[in-house]
Amino acid sequence: MENHVVKRVIARIDDETFEVDVFDGTVSVAGAAAPFAWDRPEADAVGIISDGRRRTVFVAADRDRRWAFVDGAVFEVDVAPAGARRRLGSRHHHESLSAPMPATVVKVAVAPGVAVARDDIVLILEAMKMELPIRAPRAGVVEAIHCREGDLVQPGVPLLDLDEPDAE
Amino acid sequence: MMKRLLIANRGEIAVRIARACREAGVESVAVYSEADRGAPHARAADRAVAIGPASAAASYLSIPAILGAARESGADAVHPGYGFLSENAAFAEACAGAGLAFVGPPAAVIERMGSKIAAREAMQAAGVPVVPGVTPRDQHDAGVAAAAASLGYPVIVKASAGGGGKGMRVARDAEDIGELAAAARREAEAAFGDGTLYVERLLERPRHVEIQVMADRHGRVVHLFERDCSVQRRHQKIIEESPSPALSPALRDRMGAAAVAAARAVGYENAGTVEFLVEGEGDEARFYFLEMNTRLQVEHPVTEAVTGVDLVRAQLAVAAGEPLPWRQEDLAPRGHAIECRLYAEDPAAGFLPQAGTLLVYREPVGPGVRVDSGVERGSAISVHYDPLIAKLIVHAESRPAAIARAEAALRAFPVLGVRTNGPYLIRLLQHAEFRRGGIHTGFIGEHGADLAGCPAAADRDAALAAVAVFEPEAVSAAGPAALAARSPWTDLRGWRITS
Repeated sequence: MENHVVKRVIARIDDETFEVDVFDGTVSVAGAAAPFAWDRPEADAVGIISDGRRRTVFVAADRDRRWAFVDGAVFEVDVAPAGARRRLGSRHHHESLSAPMPATVVKVAVAPGVAVARDDIVLILEAMKMELPIRAPRAGVVEAIHCREGDLVQPGVPLLDLDEPDAE
Repeated sequence: MMKRLLIANRGEIAVRIARACREAGVESVAVYSEADRGAPHARAADRAVAIGPASAAASYLSIPAILGAARESGADAVHPGYGFLSENAAFAEACAGAGLAFVGPPAAVIERMGSKIAAREAMQAAGVPVVPGVTPRDQHDAGVAAAAASLGYPVIVKASAGGGGKGMRVARDAEDIGELAAAARREAEAAFGDGTLYVERLLERPRHVEIQVMADRHGRVVHLFERDCSVQRRHQKIIEESPSPALSPALRDRMGAAAVAAARAVGYENAGTVEFLVEGEGDEARFYFLEMNTRLQVEHPVTEAVTGVDLVRAQLAVAAGEPLPWRQEDLAPRGHAIECRLYAEDPAAGFLPQAGTLLVYREPVGPGVRVDSGVERGSAISVHYDPLIAKLIVHAESRPAAIARAEAALRAFPVLGVRTNGPYLIRLLQHAEFRRGGIHTGFIGEHGADLAGCPAAADRDAALAAVAVFEPEAVSAAGPAALAARSPWTDLRGWRITS
């Protein structure tokens, strides 16, 4: 069998990164003892065969995220290339605001480039029949907005990026 | 029999009722809010009527909207399901006023059982045991202490005027009762403007065991045995089963008789559930009335599994004036049934409700496996309604066999696109204390730490391998555009949230 790598995928689960090499009929996960055989019985499912034993893994794609169901366990795997479009977390002068719970964006009160003072309302969300104003944690300038009025948003997903004010 | 029944509900229970209507030869009418346009329950019925915007208050909870839909569709009967308007006496009254047969008890009975005080009094009059409690005439600390002593410790001191945990204090013995009473009084005064205290015996590690009853209009009342619903979190049930591991045959008979007496005492009609708290096990156990639910319950399939009856079908017959199809002696439980409620919740994040789209959704099938749901692949799970995705009900010859069947079914039930309590349910079923039958209402609180998940490396590797195989091309070479082109988001029906 030719050891021809069809593709290499860099995948992340929480903070751990894994390299996975897919060959013609086998797949090798860095750190796993031996490669698995694979097949594709249908669009939603991948057969992973290890030591002759088959497990059907259901997979779904949701933008950068992949969901996988393995025998009752659920994994959320990010496949975005490391570094690109990473809005989450500590870029030096930026801060992202996100919803604390699944909610609907009722109002986007600012626009990119607008300067805000601490506690200014930048977004209004609605969840469980309550309105939830999202306020600027400090003075700054709105760098980017990643949602629109009417969007249903998940907790933790960045909705608005706040930059440091120019003169400070 | 009614000709055309309007289902005043949504989701899985609406699908369930539509199914019973089909079997009974009754036309069904579904109602749907804007958020539920095209939803499975709207398509499951013969007809469907739009009743308003997404918000429950403006649609499923709107009496005028529901009655308007009944008029518009020419319905002659209404089934309220559970939740929403099912225990709203004014709604039952309004249906009667509009000439609609209401599938449930009379409005006056709904009203009476809706008041905790009135319900307790009715039970006491019927000789049904209630949780020992008293409103001390002497409301000073000394008077409260005397009441506690007469009831027997431990006790819980509660605010007469309210609930929600405010103005409640547990006193384990006579030591602190004075202080605790004073604190409860202050809190009650602040929260409800009324510091009147009520003292109740605190039951230790109680089980929540409820009895299903059915009554027709011809004076027949039967019970269909129990469901043990002790596995709950913040009063939300997660797993229900029958029979209850705590009940001996003698206790089952006594509780069944008490439930029937309770139903008779209040002039009950149609399906209802009498909830009890049970302390202890076997013949020595003591049971106390908690409350009566004057409607069909979420977990009714557990009873259907062990008795072999169709409760919703029977509800329609009773509402049409027919006699109950069974006498008490015709009913006997067989085997063991367990229901697991699959919720769009994240147990790792305080069970926060989740919203999203079901990208993969495949129900398990097999002998003794039943799934009741109102969703399908592509369905949007929204924040407007309760986050129940589906009910998995298994039935097997014994409790261990039922547990094994439930676990296997959950492992064959992929749901992807929103976080669910699926993996958590599997861990619950695997828990040694659950398997031993040692469940009580504090179980989840007590064993919370044990139930946190730890993914197995073998599973994780299989997941990574499958995800890599699934990718259309090497992600490090392709950009986001390639991913977007393949995304199922573009294949799915779009949904809009209207405010």
